[in-house]
Amino acid sequence: MSDADPGRGRAVLDAVAARMLDATVLQRLGIATASTALALAIGLVAVALSGYDPVAFLANVAEGAFGDANAIARTLKFTTMFVLVGVAVAVAFRAGVFNIGVQGQFVVGGFATVIAILQFAPLLPGGTVGGLALLVVGTVAGIVAGGLYGALPGVLKAYGDANEIITTIMLNFIAVGVVGFLVEGPLRGEGNRAPNTERLPEYVQLPPVVFDSPDFSLVGLAVALVVVVVVSFLMVRTRIGYDMVTSGHQAAAATFSGADARRTVVTTMTLSGMVAGVAGAVFAVMIQGYYSDPSGVATYGFDAIAVSLLAANNPLGVVPAALLFGGLDSAGTHLSINSDVPPQLIDGVVGLVVLFVAAPELFRMAARRAGLGGENR
Amino acid sequence: MSVAGYVAGHRIRVGGAVAAVAAAAIAVLLDLPIASIVTVGFVERSLQAATPIALAAIGGLYAEKSGVFNIGLEGFMILGAANAAAFVWLLGGESPTQGDLWIAVAGAVLASLVYTLLFAVLLIRYRADQIVAGLAVWFIGLGFGPFSAVLIWGNRNSPGLVSVNDVTVPVLAELPVLGPILFDTSPLVVSTAVVAVVAWVVLYRTRYGYWIQAAGENPEALDTAGVNVARVRYAAVIFSGAMAGLAGAVLLAHAGSFTGTGDTMVNGRGWIGIVAYLFGNYNPLGAAAAALLFGGLDMLQIQFQTAGIELPNRLVNLFPYVAVVVVLTVWGSTRMPAAVGESYETEE
Repeated sequence: MSDADPGRGRAVLDAVAARMLDATVLQRLGIATASTALALAIGLVAVALSGYDPVAFLANVAEGAFGDANAIARTLKFTTMFVLVGVAVAVAFRAGVFNIGVQGQFVVGGFATVIAILQFAPLLPGGTVGGLALLVVGTVAGIVAGGLYGALPGVLKAYGDANEIITTIMLNFIAVGVVGFLVEGPLRGEGNRAPNTERLPEYVQLPPVVFDSPDFSLVGLAVALVVVVVVSFLMVRTRIGYDMVTSGHQAAAATFSGADARRTVVTTMTLSGMVAGVAGAVFAVMIQGYYSDPSGVATYGFDAIAVSLLAANNPLGVVPAALLFGGLDSAGTHLSINSDVPPQLIDGVVGLVVLFVAAPELFRMAARRAGLGGENR
Repeated sequence: MSVAGYVAGHRIRVGGAVAAVAAAAIAVLLDLPIASIVTVGFVERSLQAATPIALAAIGGLYAEKSGVFNIGLEGFMILGAANAAAFVWLLGGESPTQGDLWIAVAGAVLASLVYTLLFAVLLIRYRADQIVAGLAVWFIGLGFGPFSAVLIWGNRNSPGLVSVNDVTVPVLAELPVLGPILFDTSPLVVSTAVVAVVAWVVLYRTRYGYWIQAAGENPEALDTAGVNVARVRYAAVIFSGAMAGLAGAVLLAHAGSFTGTGDTMVNGRGWIGIVAYLFGNYNPLGAAAAALLFGGLDMLQIQFQTAGIELPNRLVNLFPYVAVVVVLTVWGSTRMPAAVGESYETEE
């Protein structure tokens, strides 16, 4: 038996696998595009039915998303958040664990970041060095807190058989309630009229690069992209990632290959929560600069589910999906100031995107029917 | 029969007993003034709070019994509440009457029928992922519910509209304790109790109920017996959506106005409804009882205030959610119908 044969066989196999992968990637891309287009079309019909001009609305959306440097910075700010929370969801969904609790893990992580920085600030020197040290401390705190808050429903599912969809949703309510209670009372900054913690020290912030925006820094986006790369590597190239992805596709096969199903669930939820914790840290440092009552804070953790699904739960695919949703949210902000159309419409459109992504068969049948029509002609 | 066997066979009874003992133990340990917490008013309020949860739960368990996991209950409740509020406003404007309210509730249920039909087509004909599609319904509710409120009132919250009047049965309402709870209360509470009983009878004592159970447990057998599985599932899913819409409308009828900020006025009750029927082991009466447990927890806040127990509202409000997590963890392993989540292709 020569060495060449398995090598050639392997090459053929690789080529076939690559082509099949291409086909499914193309199909998924098609489904994602069709879902988004259909959802937007329904949104435009809703706009028209409500008595507004859909063309003007579209122009407003485009202007709000990419109109000027401000709009672009705002779009990239939302994109940064969506990349991070989207990856958090993708990690879990990939492994077949429905972590709907990214929102809660994001809140707990961000809150822990702020508290840790405020606690450590008096102990460390000020200035750039101190700021950097505090950023590290805060991010670690966010990751640990988010990871633990994610691990909890993981343990409950693995060892108590508690459906993670429902426990994570309940834990979202609990996170918002408890953090809201803490910033209202015990941890409210001294003399604050609003329910907020104290502000982070001036020197704890991400440096402005290219964009001169108070709540966006390219450094934040870079952090998000680094997380994407790290998580992709983890999923594709490590044993942990292999166990997770296999469990998602075929639980029996994963068990057969020696993965401990329960431990995989806990690992998945912990990792997902850790990424959500990074998102919380970036949100707290880059966007807010303090922590406020989370019931009034944007619900990135929910839109993240749409982002991840649109990306077919692929961490790399999350980037373009996040850009799309970042643009939509940015447009929503612009709309709420410059148009009478209620910006909640954007949330509804996001829901429709998810609905259509859930039913790929809808588009496959439509495509088949369209193809059939062509042949008959 | 071993202890474990008894527990497994009588999960609800054992669970209920454990819950009652635990509650009593906590009350004694913390030296709570029980008499001023468990009042007639508390029972009345708990029943009112339980009503929407119970309705959603009964709908949801029918869908799941038939083999379709309708995780969109929360979303359908939001849309039901928003629609009911919109209809009340269209009919009665600033000062709607009781008649307007009843028509609006009926209208909200009809509207639910229409979009649950679309949802059912996506799930059953186009074999959509039931979990993802259900989540999508929630997002759609969270988006379009407040959207329509802003369109109508220029605000995510409606102004005060109208809440349902209590129905007082003469003479019987004078009875101590039972009088105010049963004979001087919201007609929606009484109707929900009736719905629970009827749902139980239909599910366990009629042919249609057996079809629904068979569609979820063994669709092949049902198909062989000449019953169209898809049609049974359509009926069950549409029923579940209509019940969730009714639940939302009932929530509105008790509250008297629509709230669209945050997670809207539904605020997780649809999700709690799912837990209620899991806890009730897919039994409509069990689900209604579980809903009462969660409703009671929801209303504890007022009792704590009147009893002079100082606990921050923000934290007391979290009791139902914490209870859900505990319930799911301790009694989480309910036996789901065998064919839930699988689409069924008939071989013709």
